[in-house]
Amino acid sequence: MSAKRKRPGPASDSIVTEHEKMVHEVIRSKKDMGASQWEMKREINVADNVITKCIKSLLSKSLIKEVKSIQSRGRKHYMSAEFEPSNEITGGAWYVEGSLDTEYINVLKEQCWRKIYGMKVATLEGIADALKRSNVSQIELSKQQVEEIVKALVLDNQVMEVTSTGTGEFASIPVGKVCYKCIGKRGYGGEPKLGALASIPCGVCPQISHCTPDGIISPITCAYYQKWLDF
Amino acid sequence: MATQYGIKCAVNLITAHFGDLVAKVCECLLRKGPLTLQATVRFTELTSSQVKNCLLVLIQHNCVQAFTLEQSVEHGDAAKANTQYIALFDNIIHRWRFSKFLNIVSQNLDKQCVDLLEALLQHGRLTLKQMSDRAKSGQNEGDDVILDAVQEAIIKLLNAHFIERCPASEPVLTNPTKQELAARKRAAKSAKIVQEQETLEQRVVEAAAPSEALRFLLVTQTELAADGGKDEIDSSIVTPGEKRKRDALESETEYGAADEQVVLWRANFEEFIRHLRHKACIENVKTRLDDGAVTVLKAMMEATRSTEKKVKTENSVPLSLSSIYEEVIKSEEGRNITFDRVRASLIQLSCPPFVKADNESYSIDFKKIIELAQNEEAESIVLKRYGKDAYRMFRLLSNSGHLLETDKIADATFVEKKETPKILYKLWKDDYLQMEKLQVTGAKRLQQFLLWKVNKNILREHVLDEMFHAALNLSQRVAFESEQEKEMLNIPKDKLRDRLRKVALLLGSSQMKLDDAIMLFHDF
Repeated sequence: MSAKRKRPGPASDSIVTEHEKMVHEVIRSKKDMGASQWEMKREINVADNVITKCIKSLLSKSLIKEVKSIQSRGRKHYMSAEFEPSNEITGGAWYVEGSLDTEYINVLKEQCWRKIYGMKVATLEGIADALKRSNVSQIELSKQQVEEIVKALVLDNQVMEVTSTGTGEFASIPVGKVCYKCIGKRGYGGEPKLGALASIPCGVCPQISHCTPDGIISPITCAYYQKWLDF
Repeated sequence: MATQYGIKCAVNLITAHFGDLVAKVCECLLRKGPLTLQATVRFTELTSSQVKNCLLVLIQHNCVQAFTLEQSVEHGDAAKANTQYIALFDNIIHRWRFSKFLNIVSQNLDKQCVDLLEALLQHGRLTLKQMSDRAKSGQNEGDDVILDAVQEAIIKLLNAHFIERCPASEPVLTNPTKQELAARKRAAKSAKIVQEQETLEQRVVEAAAPSEALRFLLVTQTELAADGGKDEIDSSIVTPGEKRKRDALESETEYGAADEQVVLWRANFEEFIRHLRHKACIENVKTRLDDGAVTVLKAMMEATRSTEKKVKTENSVPLSLSSIYEEVIKSEEGRNITFDRVRASLIQLSCPPFVKADNESYSIDFKKIIELAQNEEAESIVLKRYGKDAYRMFRLLSNSGHLLETDKIADATFVEKKETPKILYKLWKDDYLQMEKLQVTGAKRLQQFLLWKVNKNILREHVLDEMFHAALNLSQRVAFESEQEKEMLNIPKDKLRDRLRKVALLLGSSQMKLDDAIMLFHDF
């Protein structure tokens, strides 16, 4: 009580510094994962406003830094100055400021597809070399990053993974080596063939499980059907 | 096995074709399984005479099969037998494919064969005399000429396996002995490939089916009158040898001592489904590979079709490169294809593995082609209903075949980590994914992870049920539009006619296309 009433001076500086030390210790103990204010409150039994003051002070003294965490859901995250944030909180190479760099990823995907299309059949090494030579990315991409992009193209059904037979179009690739080819006869971004169920209203209807022959939602009363048959 | 909406579709079909009473009996059998006459009367609350008549109609049209299950009583009394009736779900659903079956025959055989098949589909089953009488009523030719023409058409249809002898009216199904059950268990344990357990419906159908020697055999009057094996056999037959045929005929006592005039014939749905399966495989390969590869695949199917023992054959019989080449050059599209081109096409067909090569022999992997087509259909639904991110996640889980953790899915599909669980949850809620929770005790606290998976068998059943639901909806809408047509009096006739034509075309083509997808998930 008497410490709080003291005027600012060397004596009160040491009390604030003690709390700062405690807060800094908690943050430092989390290493490259950092900590939010909420986590700090759980570990040290100190009032919220005291923690806030300590954080402000530590920031101004450059002992800690603020980092974006993809897991913190809007809460600010702090890290001791000597650590670099881990992939777990930054999200990894594809994250910028806590969000996925979608534009960059999409550019890389399209360029990757065009390289595979040009080569007809390509190995990961071939694709990585082609990307490097064309300077698509200012940052050099690791082999793992190229693989992640190619595998995303496989999931988009733009590219398929095949195994070299060593003959025909695979003549220049060792037998058994994994390689990639563009799928089918559509260009980049073309959607796969529409299935039978997906081409009628019921196939895309979010209410299908509630639809019954005599119910409120039925093929007779259905607004999607009405629109579909509106000639 | 019939899904919930599958049963509703079947009942809807029977109602449209045969009325409410027959549909009531059919629904009872579909929902409750095989029943005796008395049990059916009790459940439907109809009279015995009404139920009997309904069963006769359903049997006539191959939608129900009677059978007897031997009940062996433990303390040694004589085995009791009770006639039961089982609904044949597949045959009921085939009723909305009759136009497709007729189309197959019109592409392969002449008009007389098409007319004959149409009669069999309309009436369910007919004797030779009934078919001739029907043909006579429409023509001015003499009786013998018509009989010959009808026989000729029947033989053509039998050669192609498009029609068959009707099954036995009431086969006896014996319960497997304890030794047989134990042997089956041992076989199942040691088998590397899991065998589907034969359902009761499959056992009944098998027991009722005529032997392969008789199934596609028409013995003419000449042969019946013949005295000891000199006459030529004027029929299609699977196994050669006149004496063997006579022996088989004599042993088939249920046909009543070779009285061919009372033998009943019916459409062989199995062969039509086989044709449609092959067609679907070719269509699927066409979207991925060039015309040469498609021609080679067609030729392989043509060459091995007659060796397929069941519709859901997983692999075709292996063929050598030269046999394939010989078959390819028989067709119009394949006439100018060179031997090297055939070889190159086979390499093309190996990626994805539609055709497997083994020691210079090649066989079609039907199972793979069908699986890929099923995956595409399911993925298309996910893409349209839930969006691109969900599509990538679904494909990741479908291809991996095992449980994956939420963050791993987010990383692989390039979706924000906080958005990923919402999308996965939606797919799980609608039964497209399975989910498991994993709790791990960490250094200071308990962490919970969510793991996700696509279970292909459960997914297939679920998508099939949605398809049947959609098919039922389409039927209802078609009926509704017809009703509306009668009430649209204030709209100019031209405009009305134009709209109705477009609506009928769209609904009709959607029904056909959806039925192809139902066959993909259920029959192929």
